[in-house]
Amino acid sequence: MDFSSVLSGFAVAFEPQNLLFCLIGVTVGMLIGVLPGLGPAATIAILLPITYSLEPTAAVIMLAGIFYGAQYGGTITSVLLRMPGEASTVVTALDGHALARRGEAGPALGVAAIASFIGGTASILLLTFIAPALAGVALAFGPAEYTVLALIGIFLVGTLGSGSLWKSAAAAALGLLIATVGLDPLLGTPRFTFGTDQLADGIDFTIVAMGLFGVGEILYNLEHRDRPQPRVPAFGRAIPGRMHWLRSRMAILRGSVTGFVLGILPGGGATMSSLVSYAVEKRVAKDPSRFGKGAIEGVAGPESANNAAATSSFIPLLTLGIPANATMAVLFGALMLQGITPGPGLMNDHPDVFWGVVNSMYVGNLLLLALSIPLIGVFVRMLKVRPGVLAPLTVVITMLGVYSIRNNAFDMLLVVGLGLLGYGMRKLGFEPGPFVLAFVLGSLLEASFRRSMRLFGGDVTEFVQRPVSGVLVAVLVLTVVVVPLLRGVRARQSAAAARVTAE
Amino acid sequence: MNPRPFTRRGVLAGIAATPVAALTACNGVQGGADAAAADFPTRAVDFWVPFDPGGSGDLVSRALAKAAEEPLGESLPVTNKPGANGAVGLKELLAGDADGYTISLAVKSLFAITPLAVEDPDAVVIEDFRIITTLTNEAYVLVVHADSAYRTLDDLLAASAVNYATTGVGTGSQLSAQLLFVGAGVDATDVPFDGGASAVTALLGQEVDAVSASLAETMPQIEAGELRAIAVFSEERSPFLNDVPTAMEAGYDVVVDQRRFVVAPAAVDDEVAGVLSLAFEDAKESPEYGQFLQDNYMDRWEVDNLEAKAHLSEAAEQYAALAEDAGLQLGDGS
Repeated sequence: MDFSSVLSGFAVAFEPQNLLFCLIGVTVGMLIGVLPGLGPAATIAILLPITYSLEPTAAVIMLAGIFYGAQYGGTITSVLLRMPGEASTVVTALDGHALARRGEAGPALGVAAIASFIGGTASILLLTFIAPALAGVALAFGPAEYTVLALIGIFLVGTLGSGSLWKSAAAAALGLLIATVGLDPLLGTPRFTFGTDQLADGIDFTIVAMGLFGVGEILYNLEHRDRPQPRVPAFGRAIPGRMHWLRSRMAILRGSVTGFVLGILPGGGATMSSLVSYAVEKRVAKDPSRFGKGAIEGVAGPESANNAAATSSFIPLLTLGIPANATMAVLFGALMLQGITPGPGLMNDHPDVFWGVVNSMYVGNLLLLALSIPLIGVFVRMLKVRPGVLAPLTVVITMLGVYSIRNNAFDMLLVVGLGLLGYGMRKLGFEPGPFVLAFVLGSLLEASFRRSMRLFGGDVTEFVQRPVSGVLVAVLVLTVVVVPLLRGVRARQSAAAARVTAE
Repeated sequence: MNPRPFTRRGVLAGIAATPVAALTACNGVQGGADAAAADFPTRAVDFWVPFDPGGSGDLVSRALAKAAEEPLGESLPVTNKPGANGAVGLKELLAGDADGYTISLAVKSLFAITPLAVEDPDAVVIEDFRIITTLTNEAYVLVVHADSAYRTLDDLLAASAVNYATTGVGTGSQLSAQLLFVGAGVDATDVPFDGGASAVTALLGQEVDAVSASLAETMPQIEAGELRAIAVFSEERSPFLNDVPTAMEAGYDVVVDQRRFVVAPAAVDDEVAGVLSLAFEDAKESPEYGQFLQDNYMDRWEVDNLEAKAHLSEAAEQYAALAEDAGLQLGDGS
């Protein structure tokens, strides 16, 4: 690799103008991340006209800052209000919010910010050294690999939450069902669209998450107004203690690597990485029963993973010209409008843009860490606001955010409908987490599986014959069948041993 | 449209126009509306893009809207209203006021190809709209992987079985490839993906043998030498790919393209439509817009309203006939 261009990228990133746009980008990103329902894709689209007059590198540095800044901000709403704005922060909401209810919102957010910083920075480092070599990883994943990956994800959803496994499974099944709404991806047949175009493209993730988590939670809380409010800790408690740090550091390390690798995959990589990280942490923990009730590792792992994934999701865009998600698609458009074609030629044709943007992310992550730590104390105060004030305000912002996705009023009705469903589920003890994640993975699973079957001419055995999907099938069988079986056997043995010693 | 009270500018414009009004003598009742039309525009004109941000339709709209601000004298904020290949946004456009302050991008495929795949009794038809200006003609191109054994179109069509990716159900990508393979009698399986990016990814990963996609979706990889173009589905060769033959040259009568244009509801005032059309004609002359088309591999399609409508209706009939002759099944709605 040509290191002089990497170094001159630092010179570009440290130009005062670019530093300024990096700061603007991450600040805007963090703010829209905090506001429920407002996503980076809609924000970047709104800001596109402003970037016309900017120099290309400055424009992309700012827009990229919005993207990863939103990841930091989204964590805050997930933890404090249990409203994940992105599929990749759904997992964080589980233990993060449990910690907040226990009065440990400060440490939870502190650990999340540090985990995000480490995950993001580690990912940029890896990107700098091995991005060109890794471009191929995205291509090794065809429909077959996505099928197995999504299937693993759906089984991992079962490990979430602390309630009954059957209720989780039922909620996940309902999520899979909602994922089928819209035109059939291979035939164009309308499914559950009730004859309206509004549902032809299915339901946006944000609408489902805002309905089930956000509006559902708010309705539920209205009913329990006399429920004890979460304690608001003193400002000093915002800094994570030694114990939090000790428990989190390995989780952060593992999460960063998981996030980097899975983030390269376009479509669903970031979500999968947070799920995998959570499942791994739960599995290696000495006491897995703490998970779902406020385990700090359950925040640290997934947060480092989703930020690492956010960074590595730039790899397919910058090296192959493939946008990995909706936000990347808008960034792709921003580059095209600037007369720069993202893709295989980018690194050679515009090294200043490529390395300027990549290196600006170090600065951006540092700025975000510096911004978040002092702001945590302020955000935690949000919990002090009376629910009578906070709830309607949150609903209004959610509605604005949901409208901004497609500029469509129908979507606001949809979020209310899903909110009622979320309220019903909450009352009956079903958790929204498995529902929402199964919803995300369901579309991926269905479309990938049916594409695979067309490619294979209907031969299912091809799933195990292809090297990558074969390995994934082995991982699936190992984690879903073999490990639980072994654990069952061991549990029975130790129970028998206990009986023996008791006698 | 409600007659508005005369503004000073309106009155002056009305006086200036008196001889003309006396001659035509039929404008008396609509005087107020005409005055408002003569003023047009007094505020920003909303430019809707019924597609997601970042795609070709979004980009060309933004380039055009930016170039049209100066000739129009007002800004044209772009708003994305995606859904159902543009049907969601266009239906909302028809439900609103036909005052010219809201206009929208529209695409040929919605009127000519989507009906072949998706049955919708309330589908929008081109007669509901007035075409303000026509913009681009984007060719579909058939590409294979650079390492593929298929060097030419003939090689591919001689294959015993072909898997090809499309950018979705009811798209020009699907129609062009199906017409070609059915016409050539090749045992070909179509695998619809979710847009151009994922279809091209599948080809780069050699999951499929070929893909038909727009030039904008494939040119960066063609130029980088990772994909090879073997045919274009236009009447004449594309200026961007001069050495690639058309399907017609190879003996297959398949011409499928995507065209983009700007519409307002049909009831829009003639003068208002005229003001907008003129502004866009100016905008299309701007060097920035020209550079944008060049950078994004788009050809100009600049014809008048009548010719554009005739083209769209003919294309719809022609595609339907071709699809029926070939016994195509784009979706299961046909």
